[in-house]
Amino acid sequence: MSDYREKNKVVVQIGPQHPSLKEPGSFKITLDGEKVERAVIEIGYNHRGIEKACESRNYIQALYIIERVCGICSHAHTSCFCQAFEEIAGLEVPRRAHYIRGIVGELERLHSHLLWLGVASHEIGFDTLFMYTWRDRELVLDLLARIGGNRVNYGVNTYGGVRRDLEPELMQDILTVCDLLEEKLKYYADLALTETTLIARLRGIGTLLPEDVRKYSAVGPVARAAGIMDDVRITEPYGVFREIAVNGITDDHCDVYGRTLVRVKEMLEAIRLIRIMVKEIPDGPISVRPPRKLPVGESLSRVEAPRGEDIHYIRSNGGESPDRVRVRAPSEANWHGMSHMLEGFQLADVPIIIAAIDPCYSCTDRAIHLIGDGINQLTDWAQIRALSIEQYKARGIDPGSIKIREF
Amino acid sequence: MNTEETILALNKHFPALEAVSNRPLRVFTAFAEPKAFEETLRYANLTLGYHKGKHIIGTDEGENIGLSYIISNDEDVLLVLRERVPKSAPHVHSMGELYPSLMLHEREMVDLFGVQVSGLPEGPRYPLPDCWPDGEYPMRKEWNPAYFNKQTVTYEPPKQEDAK
Amino acid sequence: MGLFDKAIAWGEKNSPWIIHFNAGACNGCDIEVVDALTPQYDLERLGILQQGSPKHADVLVCTGAVTLQTRDRLKQIYDQMSTPKFVIAVGTCACTGGIFDSCYCVTGGIDTVVPVDAYIPGCAVRPEAIIDAVGKLLATFDQKEAKGK
Repeated sequence: MSDYREKNKVVVQIGPQHPSLKEPGSFKITLDGEKVERAVIEIGYNHRGIEKACESRNYIQALYIIERVCGICSHAHTSCFCQAFEEIAGLEVPRRAHYIRGIVGELERLHSHLLWLGVASHEIGFDTLFMYTWRDRELVLDLLARIGGNRVNYGVNTYGGVRRDLEPELMQDILTVCDLLEEKLKYYADLALTETTLIARLRGIGTLLPEDVRKYSAVGPVARAAGIMDDVRITEPYGVFREIAVNGITDDHCDVYGRTLVRVKEMLEAIRLIRIMVKEIPDGPISVRPPRKLPVGESLSRVEAPRGEDIHYIRSNGGESPDRVRVRAPSEANWHGMSHMLEGFQLADVPIIIAAIDPCYSCTDRAIHLIGDGINQLTDWAQIRALSIEQYKARGIDPGSIKIREF
Repeated sequence: MNTEETILALNKHFPALEAVSNRPLRVFTAFAEPKAFEETLRYANLTLGYHKGKHIIGTDEGENIGLSYIISNDEDVLLVLRERVPKSAPHVHSMGELYPSLMLHEREMVDLFGVQVSGLPEGPRYPLPDCWPDGEYPMRKEWNPAYFNKQTVTYEPPKQEDAK
Repeated sequence: MGLFDKAIAWGEKNSPWIIHFNAGACNGCDIEVVDALTPQYDLERLGILQQGSPKHADVLVCTGAVTLQTRDRLKQIYDQMSTPKFVIAVGTCACTGGIFDSCYCVTGGIDTVVPVDAYIPGCAVRPEAIIDAVGKLLATFDQKEAKGK
């Protein structure tokens, strides 16, 4: 009997095109009944060769490419890259620019977490919440469009500061949107804490305990949901966070539910931070003039993107183009524990477990498995019947004697 | 263990590394041969408490290929330990038993730089596509994307005679 | 045009079902495509429904510069769709390869793999532009019907 089960384990190929995964990634799931026994993850579909492209472009051109590593966390990537550049160049970015970067960064965190909440609800079949959160997200996107000129890829950062200033009316509107959003976010927080079907769907799945978080080097909300305070704004304050303290959010559930709670509470914290930044933003210039060529040197820079710790590395050999650019997006770090998180849980929970790390494949691959050789085979009715008779015979039943009426 | 303590400990036990720091929470070291590098990495992990594997950055150092391992501890110091192998014989050992999260990045070194990493478990390649030709390592400086024919997926550098 | 063909054309024009595929994009255009389906822009009022399987879809909405890895998969998805079918290339990268055109793993826009019926430029494309393109595509169905195809 156990040998039969061994031979009859079903391997389900999820991806690279799949209704619930917005990006291409391939998951080969070996099932024992409904339970996931083994998961082999193949990513790399979004590998475009960005780092090599940066080496043949000057720094300004490279910034445009870095912004498009990912459309959801584009500001985090450019902030990190500009920070690395400014460190090598020894530039002192004006305080007002730090505040503007901070405001846009927190607005990005809001839009990204709302996006996540919507996508996660969609994965569990809660389409109403998906529509609600994406409707609320439009408020944030409209603000970002007014600040940067575009809803996605806002292009606010440049070396030495920011490109656009915030006028007083815009700052007033930011506060108005914060008030509107806070009301809705409190509703979502209440939903996450009291709605029994939501809790039942999210509790106890995709578990990653603290020792596994350390072993697989998970970052961001995945680590914070296991009680580990892993937040670059607190451990290595940069930019505006040297002046404004962040209340780190952690949770002890260690599962998908914990990650949901962390993200919802972080949205409320983001609103609190935006209000402080708008109130206390100093006057002054918004940028300093950067050099065309960087002196010889290297730097490692970190920011807290919505998905976790984002690390950028630049090495300069004194020219107008970088010698080496390296982007370690937070999703890359969270993939390592993915197989561990999937194993032992039901197939129906696979999409939400994958969604709970908030994967950004484009961040990961920047830079997957066609099963077999793409053999096309047309099996007709008679062949299918013969196959099924064979399978029943293996179990000791002979349906061959049953007459089937021809349709 | 903070930045200063790390530098003191490293320079005491491995003076050849010349560990330096240009800012808080960063420690950079010099390139080392694989054997010395593995010893230092083991020391950093087991004795200094650098148990978090953050990343590996591969670099083209002309005649050699450099692998910079970025590891971290509970105090979030980023320590960069580096090894260097010749392009003609790029053999290294996987440090997966100490840092399981770095194995994906070791696979990147295999694909993008042509480093031969022994001790990696079986698994799909990353990040290059399945149809990528063998022997082509795009992140090496001498590899020029302009000569890569994406329709036939072959690298076609100009012949030397044409250059004359 | 036979009765059956007319029925198909009527269904397509009044309720084209789409399938969304990311061929190697940065996600910016993908979130704008999903945005077009959510309450603020709501493409569903034009009869557009997102489907999970290529076999259930009339229109392939594709984003991203095609990478070497997704090239064959994109072709497979296109082949699995039943005729008549249409392709919309969403975003600058899907139209021409965009900013990633010279990268070593990118073959170019969607039209290097499958025939495209509508190009929507933008980085990232705005949902209003997607609605405009869908409207224009639906108008071409009218023309096809008028020509008796």
